[in-house]
Amino acid sequence: MAKKKAATKTSSTSKPSAKKPSSDAILREPAEVKYADELAYLESIDDSPRPFTWRLSPRMIRVFVLGSSAADKIDRPITTKFFGNPNTVERAIVTLASDRGLLLIGDPGTGKSWLAELLAAAICGDSTHVVQGTAGTTEDHIKYSWNVAMVIASGQSQESLIPSPIMTSMQLGQMGRFEELTRCSSDVQDALISILSEKYLTIPELKSDNVVFAQPGFNIIATANARDRGVNDLSTALKRRFNFVQIPVVTNKKSEQEIVLFRTKELLARNKFEVDVPPAMLEILLQTFADLRETSAAATGDDDRLESSLSTAEQIGVIEDAMLHGQFFGGGSLAPESLARSLVGTLVRRIPEDVSILNKFWHAVVDKRAKKSDKDWKEFEAAGKDALENIK
Amino acid sequence: MPTSANNLPTTFEPLKQQLLAAAKAFSTDAQPLGEILSGIVDDVQRACGEPLEIFPVCHHSPSSAVQMVQRLRSRPPRVIYMECCEDMREVLDGLRECRLPVALQAFATSSTAFPSAWAPLSLVCPLTEFSAEFQAIAFALETPETELVFVDRSADHVFQWMPQETDALEERTPDDPSDEDDAAMHGSAIGIEIGSLVPTIQEFHEFLQKNARVQHFSEWWDQYVEEAIIDGSLATYRQVMFLIGSLFRRLGTDQRNREEDELRERFMWTRMKQHLRDSKIDPRDAIYICGAAHSASHVEEFGVKSAAMWDIPPRTETQWLYGILPSSYRSIEHQFAHPHGAVTLAEARWRKNLRRQKLKAFALEKSEAKKATKKAAEKTASKGKTPKSANNGDAETPEVAQTSHAADEHPLLNYLQKPPEVMQEDESELVRNCVKIVDLARRNGYLSTTADSIAVYQTAILLANLRNRRHPTPYDFRDAAVTCIEKEAVPRKRDVARLCDILLGGDKTGQIGYKSLPPLAQNVYDRLSVLPIKLEARTIQRALLDFRKQPDYLPCSKLLWQLRYLLANDVVRPIMGQCQLGHVPQQESWDVAIGKYQGAVIQLGYEGITVEHVLERRLKKAAFGSDARTVDALSATEDSILLLGSERLTEELGERAVELLVNEPDVKDARAIYSGISRLIHYYRTTEAGLPPWCKSFVTTGYSHYATLLPNAFADRGTNPEDLTAMLQFIFTLESLALSLGCERSQLVIAIKQSADGTTDFAKQSLLWSAECVIQLRDPASLRDRFDELLDNELTLPAIPDYLGGFLLALSFTPLVSSLTVELMSKAFERLPDRILMPWLPKLITMLRPHAATVLPTLVKEAAAIFPNSLLALETWEPPWHAQASISEPAESSQELDAEQQATNRLLFQFPSTTNALATCLGQSVEWKSPGKTKASTAQQSKSAAVDVDEVMDLLSRYPATINAFGNCLSGSEPAD
Repeated sequence: MAKKKAATKTSSTSKPSAKKPSSDAILREPAEVKYADELAYLESIDDSPRPFTWRLSPRMIRVFVLGSSAADKIDRPITTKFFGNPNTVERAIVTLASDRGLLLIGDPGTGKSWLAELLAAAICGDSTHVVQGTAGTTEDHIKYSWNVAMVIASGQSQESLIPSPIMTSMQLGQMGRFEELTRCSSDVQDALISILSEKYLTIPELKSDNVVFAQPGFNIIATANARDRGVNDLSTALKRRFNFVQIPVVTNKKSEQEIVLFRTKELLARNKFEVDVPPAMLEILLQTFADLRETSAAATGDDDRLESSLSTAEQIGVIEDAMLHGQFFGGGSLAPESLARSLVGTLVRRIPEDVSILNKFWHAVVDKRAKKSDKDWKEFEAAGKDALENIK
Repeated sequence: MPTSANNLPTTFEPLKQQLLAAAKAFSTDAQPLGEILSGIVDDVQRACGEPLEIFPVCHHSPSSAVQMVQRLRSRPPRVIYMECCEDMREVLDGLRECRLPVALQAFATSSTAFPSAWAPLSLVCPLTEFSAEFQAIAFALETPETELVFVDRSADHVFQWMPQETDALEERTPDDPSDEDDAAMHGSAIGIEIGSLVPTIQEFHEFLQKNARVQHFSEWWDQYVEEAIIDGSLATYRQVMFLIGSLFRRLGTDQRNREEDELRERFMWTRMKQHLRDSKIDPRDAIYICGAAHSASHVEEFGVKSAAMWDIPPRTETQWLYGILPSSYRSIEHQFAHPHGAVTLAEARWRKNLRRQKLKAFALEKSEAKKATKKAAEKTASKGKTPKSANNGDAETPEVAQTSHAADEHPLLNYLQKPPEVMQEDESELVRNCVKIVDLARRNGYLSTTADSIAVYQTAILLANLRNRRHPTPYDFRDAAVTCIEKEAVPRKRDVARLCDILLGGDKTGQIGYKSLPPLAQNVYDRLSVLPIKLEARTIQRALLDFRKQPDYLPCSKLLWQLRYLLANDVVRPIMGQCQLGHVPQQESWDVAIGKYQGAVIQLGYEGITVEHVLERRLKKAAFGSDARTVDALSATEDSILLLGSERLTEELGERAVELLVNEPDVKDARAIYSGISRLIHYYRTTEAGLPPWCKSFVTTGYSHYATLLPNAFADRGTNPEDLTAMLQFIFTLESLALSLGCERSQLVIAIKQSADGTTDFAKQSLLWSAECVIQLRDPASLRDRFDELLDNELTLPAIPDYLGGFLLALSFTPLVSSLTVELMSKAFERLPDRILMPWLPKLITMLRPHAATVLPTLVKEAAAIFPNSLLALETWEPPWHAQASISEPAESSQELDAEQQATNRLLFQFPSTTNALATCLGQSVEWKSPGKTKASTAQQSKSAAVDVDEVMDLLSRYPATINAFGNCLSGSEPAD
């Protein structure tokens, strides 16, 4: 009975790509559309065993996420999409092949959601079954809800049921994603327990055909912010059903440089720009962030620290902002002044606390670097001071 | 030899052809790649063909150790050459008494040959039980017929060949470990590793790791080399190691390391050839144990056939001392930057293979056991079981070699083509570990269950598959356990990776046996042996010493105090008891951790023969150092009395203190000097001999020195009032002694007079006034008026606390100003406005706190004399300074007013309306002051006034009508009785 239902559902939604508009019309393509060629290629050459109904084998997923190297013996180069510890990615892939859900934990901006999206795209070719966890998320968002008008007209039936993204992924045997799991209240989170252990969902309102069984290949990728820890802590029962994988903040300058370049290029491509980030500017940005992190680590109290987590994502934000500014209002290139303005603008969130922290930092650290270095640093330093003066 | 020179071409030719074909096929520019690949094969071929058998090893490699055991058992060589500092050979006998891991150490306290910032120089070479080198050492030490020669450069050369720059040493020593005690057992020594084989070119290193999908080099080594060769024949082992060595030498070693390696190779080959020549041993009866990379050396001296010999550079003048230091797996990993748990994993693999191959490892017998079995050994020796030389023909070995050779015709080719076999044992071990880790995690506070065991197993298999491994390695297992069990890590408490290490054997810490200890450490053990504690135990031992019951513990107590002075804080720690001049201990309680920090005691052994010897040197160093100050010398003197009791040394140090005091330009240590010398004087006064000459000299020198510095100290804004107080304290407290020893007070009087106009600091001004009071240049009472003026003036009020601070400090050297101080304090509390008083109070408390012992008693005593001692008395009490003022006032008024005038006064007071009316007419206001009241207030002080009041009271109570009428007149109401 239930199988039948699942089958009907599957037939109605089995072509996720068909419902998607062509890539030209959407602002941000999901990973499976964006990297459709790579995925198709990897699928064609993949001869390793695949768990369940996975589109690719774990080895190929690894290659897709981390990029190819000589050892993979692949003719076509596959770009690196996630610049982190390969070990983390391997552990994440393996978890999804096991019976447990995957919970990616890390500071904001460390690439948790990006990794989740890549994994979902590579495993099942659809990364859009996403539930966004907020303080307002209810159980309905995780399980199912009803079309009220139809229920009034014809009562509760399969037709008036609105499945949640998680339920849809169960029916299709795909990856369901749950963003910011710890932002939901604990009782809402616990709705996942039965989904993860029994792998089915009952709909008691329906008299028949009221169990939705998960198809092979279903699993959940959840993300949680390390800074939210303790707000809505996971219950022990739920913890048991997830494997936790920590995504650390990237502090290696080389990897960070790669990430910033990769993401900035990608973001700017949306605006149809193909500008290169000048290496000198990138160096200034990375160095400033490295200095800021050092200062932040040495600070004794929260009042002496910027509110920002100083993650790589923040750097990407800064450089994108500066590039856009340069493109539209500047001479078309990235100038130190606009970089400094963007940096100050992005990092100042609390006035006056963040301003005074940055003011101190600028005079103690950036000043010193500017004195030792060339013109770019000097301009960067002057523009930063100017920006700090004008913040209200 | 498994391969002879004749069949070499046939052995390596197929491999070479294949590699060259591959180079042609895969490289666009085949020439250099082909050259590298054929060069590698040539290196292997050359190393195999060397008559002196090269036995390539890798650091902490269980395969090397297993192969070494097999090789030595099958055909004992006559001499073993080993890549290790030649001067460290002498300490090897001490290994018998030790529990491994230990480190051979070379130590030099100082040296003029190297940059001074390097001192002390320390070099360690850690040894673990499962290393090939230890197996060879154990074999050689247990087999008298086999000689063991260390052929590598000496410890001195290690330092000589480093860039002679101050920070060069720092670059080669690891950073201090963040939190683990066991990781710091080598201190800040430089480490050398026998058979070190890690690529030094970062790109090559990263390339290896990335391609193999591993996180560390040791993981790469385990997977690609260790697994494949541990079961192989000796020929396979050697060829594979030669191959890897050559690969790393050619592609993975940077220029600097290559140059150093070459120097070492020239050194080693020269030493070996010298030894072979001198001892006339056939090279084929010898074996040369070295890191695999050294087998691919291209120095001129390489090979016994080469006649080239290197002119070895001489050592420097540095005096080196040698010993054995306890070590631990953590320390080894930390020293050589191996990943956590690498050494533990290697040991686990070694044990597993010993079991599997039914091998017996070589071990060192203890000295006593050795003596017992010596006879038996001699018998065996006499039966002629001497090491067989190769040319005599070994009945067993060639057979073994040949069979293996026959079975494995192209060992190197096979290694490169086939993955190693999977062992059934590994599978059951993995399952066992999955169960055990969950149990261990549960005991460490994780909520793990059997479900986790299943998940760990499944994840480990999946991970291994993902990483191209046939079976999960311990590294995969660890990752799987972390993935499935770790929900949140708590540093040092909850850490699944750490639990995995513990599961696989955990950290091990070595221990040095008594006989291998340096004389000083042995002496310490001997002298502390009377204590009822286990000195060897790794835990902290609590010793309770009751000297009344056990007087023989007294020397132990002294030694413990000496060790306390010499060693870091945790080695011996007093829980109860003190070491002070004149104190006779009754009971003491100590935490002794000599077993845990054995290394510290051994290091102390490099500084001298006995603890006393080291202590004397340290004290002298403290007192005679170029930057030593008087206070250092004085405390060294005190320590010498407390800890050594050598009069000669004490006198020498005391004289040094006098010498330093004379030349001390400032007074910033005055407080410490005063407290130090007064302790010493008190102590000496209780002894029979009285003050020693140096002490007398110190007092007279100090008196005159501080008197000379007084004017400057008063004027100098850099000298704070506390230091000035200490100077005055020295001068006045020790004055009688100084004068009796020939000093003149006139010197002090002149100095104080000179200081009179110098100071602008209020506290110092008070100190100066106090000093003037002591030498009777000023009367304390004369200051009262001045302070009354200050208190009356709103503008000078804020200065009062500072003045008072000075007086409070002055109490430590003179009680003369105590009543003035109490008076001023009371006035300050009474009259200072809150805005000044409130901020001052906390300052006052913090200022008084350090002087609790000296100032407060005087202050309290004086206050007790002035203030009433009961609450009742307080009601009628008036401060003496008020009394003085009110006594003087009526006296003045009584002089002005005669009896008639007083009567008029009284009349006017009784009938004020007339005066009031008159005043109103004149436009003035009137303030009435009762003449009776004034008298009443002075009643307690003035007897006549008291009589007067009594009479009035008596009169009024007898005729109440008058007072009632008076009351009516004044307010229109009746007064209460």
